[in-house]
Amino acid sequence: MSVRRLPVYILLDTSGSMRGEPIHSVNVGLQAMLSALRQDPYALESVHLSIITFDVEAREYLPLTPLDQVQLGEIQVPSSGATFLGAALELLIRHVDRDVRKSTDEAKGDWRPLLFVMTDGSPSDLHNYRQAIPEIHRRHFGSIVACAAGPKAKDEALRELTDRVVRLDTLDAAAFSGFFKWVSASVAVGSSSAGLEGPVTLPPPPAEVQLVL
Amino acid sequence: MASVIRCRTLDGQPLEFVDDVIGSGAMKEVYFAPDRSYVVAFYRSPQDTAARERLGMITGKYRESIFEQTGGDYWRNLFCWPTAMLEHEGRLGLVAPAYPRHFFFEHGSRNGDVLKIRGREKEGKWFAAANLRNRFMDPRELGDWLGHLRACLLLARAVRRLHMAGLAHSDLSYKNVLIDPSRGLSCVIDVDGLVVPGKYPPDVVGTPDFIAPEVVMTSHLPKDDPARHLPRRETDLHALAVLIYMYLLYRHPLRGGKVHDLDDEQRDETLSMGERALFVEHPHDPRNRIRLADVKPTELPWADTEARPYRLTGPYLARLFEQAFIDGLHDPARRPSANDWETALVKTVDLVQPCRNPDCEQQWYVFDNTTRPACPFCGTPFHGKLPILNLYSSRKEGQFRPDDHRLMVWTGQSLFHWHANNLIAPNEKLTEDQKRRIGYFVLHEGRWWLVNEGLPDLLDVSTRTAVPIGGRLELRDGQQILLAKGEGGRLVVVQMVEA
Repeated sequence: MSVRRLPVYILLDTSGSMRGEPIHSVNVGLQAMLSALRQDPYALESVHLSIITFDVEAREYLPLTPLDQVQLGEIQVPSSGATFLGAALELLIRHVDRDVRKSTDEAKGDWRPLLFVMTDGSPSDLHNYRQAIPEIHRRHFGSIVACAAGPKAKDEALRELTDRVVRLDTLDAAAFSGFFKWVSASVAVGSSSAGLEGPVTLPPPPAEVQLVL
Repeated sequence: MASVIRCRTLDGQPLEFVDDVIGSGAMKEVYFAPDRSYVVAFYRSPQDTAARERLGMITGKYRESIFEQTGGDYWRNLFCWPTAMLEHEGRLGLVAPAYPRHFFFEHGSRNGDVLKIRGREKEGKWFAAANLRNRFMDPRELGDWLGHLRACLLLARAVRRLHMAGLAHSDLSYKNVLIDPSRGLSCVIDVDGLVVPGKYPPDVVGTPDFIAPEVVMTSHLPKDDPARHLPRRETDLHALAVLIYMYLLYRHPLRGGKVHDLDDEQRDETLSMGERALFVEHPHDPRNRIRLADVKPTELPWADTEARPYRLTGPYLARLFEQAFIDGLHDPARRPSANDWETALVKTVDLVQPCRNPDCEQQWYVFDNTTRPACPFCGTPFHGKLPILNLYSSRKEGQFRPDDHRLMVWTGQSLFHWHANNLIAPNEKLTEDQKRRIGYFVLHEGRWWLVNEGLPDLLDVSTRTAVPIGGRLELRDGQQILLAKGEGGRLVVVQMVEA
């Protein structure tokens, strides 16, 4: 048996510009994502979820928790503040090192973790951000998807982190729900039919999201 | 309200669908007909000539060869088979029957459906993992162990039919097989990827957990490399064996404790499902046993292969599991055929016995051929007289040979034509008349009786007494009973266990 765990880390921007409708949409989207994942028996057996939020500082909003035990309250946004994505990556590195299990002779380790990053701006701590990136890459994530949400989000900085950057043109409920639906589909893809040309890593994105190539 | 789109299939039949995607997979997007009696699925990407031709054959010639023959209707419940092709706004699509109602959850998960899966498809995984069964599934959805045996029987039969037609499914998995253990039903879906050897190659390698070791081992090679193994009939047989094992024992036969690569879990996975795949219950090689220290409490007792060994599935299935996961795991030619599975499941259904414990979760178990039978699931022993009918059949007038087939007797157990004659098999070929019960068993005041409802030749050989239709015959140890005369006619030798 020994079902491997699939750690999923979500980094969410809670900087001041997310106040109001945007963070409300994120909360709704997160809840929808949780329900969708719980309806997938494969995800229910393997997924462990962690959420880190970042504004003027990075916080562990949800420690790595088995999917069925996750309980989410409303994520709040401070009145103003910067976008310390670098700090969030540093926190993530510490938590991945602490939480993700390596294989031993005795027991199977975790699957490579998945990372989803959502921001509506660009990193205020660009130096730290750039320093953290090589460390992130050394952690061998199964996949890293960054989401640039809204008109002010900058793709360029995100593309230093990953070549999978998706864009949400708006910060409304439809856009975020499309994004989180895609996250849940990506997480569940390990249980689907695999193509002849190697594993399909991501399903096609929903209509609301555009892939930035 | 989404609008209704009207169009025509390629063979000119009018067709309607509601313009609202009800489901989407990696390959297709699915829409309902307004009355929900069928679905229309469009491929996301343009299909090449070979794929179009294949779909044409699947909706045409292959479908007709299975469904439009005598008894073809039988298969409508076992397959969800595409019936027509269409093209709409440049997209290629297919029409398929909607899944029958019983393949959608009625009750869903526990505690008032906490997971909100009521109304969703009964994907097999929910029933194939001990943890999901124990923690989440509403017990009314789980049914009993006999229901699981029956669902497996229909699955083996469906695969046998495909293989008989020279086709291979190529992607059997719990996503592509719907099961309803509460009614003992199953249905093979996503038939549009069928493989025809030498004609239409597969377009998937399969689904993790079900991909045959030789396919996993060579998946890094280019697809035209002669050493590359692709899905075909023999790989279906691996997937079928895994499905049956998982639906009866709620664990995966190859997912044990052995770690093959400490640093790269993907490589570890590839090795443990491919080159170094090893049965968790291999009798002489314990390296891949499931380590109880690793399992969740809710996976017990199923994760404990000592407490729930594959042998509890009875002699016929146990032999096939050995053939599939020991002899044939790395030697595809030695895997049991779908027909072998079907036959073994039919015999196993005759070998089950109801558990005396009303709270037993499985409710049924396979007789273990001992003089002190007990339910292997809850431990409840059998008390009283247990008649076992050993079936012999006649190949030459007056000469009967053992069939390696036994029928367990319990109150309400029925005798059918296929018990009375070994030339009749309980499958799609049965006529309406042959489906009728011809006798039943009843325990009355401590004695077991066979009541004759349709056996004109019934004869107690020991006493030379004929038992007319409407009459009854008491079962005694060592007794010989003739059920039917003529070729294939069966003779029964009664064994009586007193426990």
